[in-house]
Amino acid sequence: MQILEEIKISDNGFVFNALTGESFSLNPIGLEIIKMIAANSDFDEIRKTILDKYDVDDLSFEKDFYEFSTMLKHYQLTQQNNPLNFV
Amino acid sequence: MEKLNYEKPIISKITAGVPNKFGLSTKQRIIAEIDSIPVAKLADEFGSPLFVFSEKTIRETYNKAKQTFETHYPKVQFAWSYKTNYLDAICSIFHDEGSWAEVVSVFEFEKALSLGVKGSNILYNGPEKSEENLKLAINHNACIHIDHFDELYLLIKITQEMNKKARVAIRVNLDAGIYPMWDRFGFNYENGEAWSAINRIMLADNLELIGLHTHIGTYIMSALGYGIAATKFSSLMVGIHRKFNLWLKYIDLGGGFASKNTLKGAYMPGSETCPTFDDYAKAISNAIITSEIPHENLPILFLETGRALIDDAGYLITSVLANKRSTTGRRTIVIDAGVNLLFTSFWYNLGVFPSREISDLMEDTTIYGPLCMNIDVIRDAINFPQVKTGDRLVIERVGAYNVTQWMQFITYRPNVVLIDLEGKAHIIKKKESLETLRVNEFNPKR
Repeated sequence: MQILEEIKISDNGFVFNALTGESFSLNPIGLEIIKMIAANSDFDEIRKTILDKYDVDDLSFEKDFYEFSTMLKHYQLTQQNNPLNFV
Repeated sequence: MEKLNYEKPIISKITAGVPNKFGLSTKQRIIAEIDSIPVAKLADEFGSPLFVFSEKTIRETYNKAKQTFETHYPKVQFAWSYKTNYLDAICSIFHDEGSWAEVVSVFEFEKALSLGVKGSNILYNGPEKSEENLKLAINHNACIHIDHFDELYLLIKITQEMNKKARVAIRVNLDAGIYPMWDRFGFNYENGEAWSAINRIMLADNLELIGLHTHIGTYIMSALGYGIAATKFSSLMVGIHRKFNLWLKYIDLGGGFASKNTLKGAYMPGSETCPTFDDYAKAISNAIITSEIPHENLPILFLETGRALIDDAGYLITSVLANKRSTTGRRTIVIDAGVNLLFTSFWYNLGVFPSREISDLMEDTTIYGPLCMNIDVIRDAINFPQVKTGDRLVIERVGAYNVTQWMQFITYRPNVVLIDLEGKAHIIKKKESLETLRVNEFNPKR
């Protein structure tokens, strides 16, 4: 999963999508995770960082991360596969 | 190293719009306890979902209403509307405070008698009264509110056969400026039907006309409507006195006072728009007192207020079963209480609140019940904080109609608890079980 180049993320959790003009807000953990995604960390790295730092169990975080990444995809902040590129 | 508190990662879209046009607080309200008992403790002890009633709130609301009306009018008598909530423990509190019983079926009539209400203190309403039911009412000297001519003639026949007198009032429907006008019950005022019924009753030897009854509608947001009804009743009373030299004992303006719940589609929250008891009392008492009825002949004002007296005293504790995302990315949560327990969720945007401090991050959310039915929606749209599976939520103002109109569907109906004045919780209706549900079932042998 990669964050689109056009997405600008501020240090206070404000996200701007220059492609669509839409803006979003993140909570502090959401900001931390999106920055790790933008830095090309994979899920295992992100999970380790969060589990080391926060009081959360593995499965709960996996569930929350799944929902979070689904929302990033839903808001079109991540690179989507080109649906026409199926050959 | 001690780990930091975790909060699930959230991203929410910022939508431009007018923020908070009423200046209401956006801070999430928490209902952590009910009458000083923690919500979590109640749920742990009695299960979830769980209806909880506060005796303190019931008595306080009743006394506030009574005092307000008595400040404006000298003779006021409340009659507890059984259909609003006929759990024995709830009815008993109202009777203990001095309420009569207002019933609309023989089941409710028998329930009132079983709770020790004198037959003469029962107002018997409704369009469904069989010959057998009417005999019961006559034998107990109840006030029978006649709904239609067939019932009137049946009463004439029965009282002749029994050679007994029946104390009666007529239910009148009238134009009080309320739309839609409830004209399916009783005799119409404007077209003279009510006057005809009165004349026929006065000709019947065994019928004693003692009152007039109306019920202009439900969740009435205009106190003025009650004023109009009281004005029309006052002139009817004066007319009866002119023709028959009789001052009726009472006028009964029914129920219908709004509670603070917010109706679906309402622009403003119900807590901001609902008239106060004072508004209703002023409108009604001004109309009667300024009429031609002499002060010494003023009728007793009966009120069958249900919803406005009990809604605030009832809570439903429920638990979060799941968090989900719809195909549009919208957050939805599933709770363990469905529309089968919350009939009023079809009319109101019920207030749903967390029972503990959680994230301040709010998101537009749909709250579904647990039934495997598409209609099982408790809130279409509510700005709600992030919650986890197992979190307890509290739905407020569910005291009216839910524990009478609830439906046994798929699951057992839950415990109902009353918190008494000492702060002790008692089960007043036990959770159903397979045995209690099967008690009247029979499976023919094959």
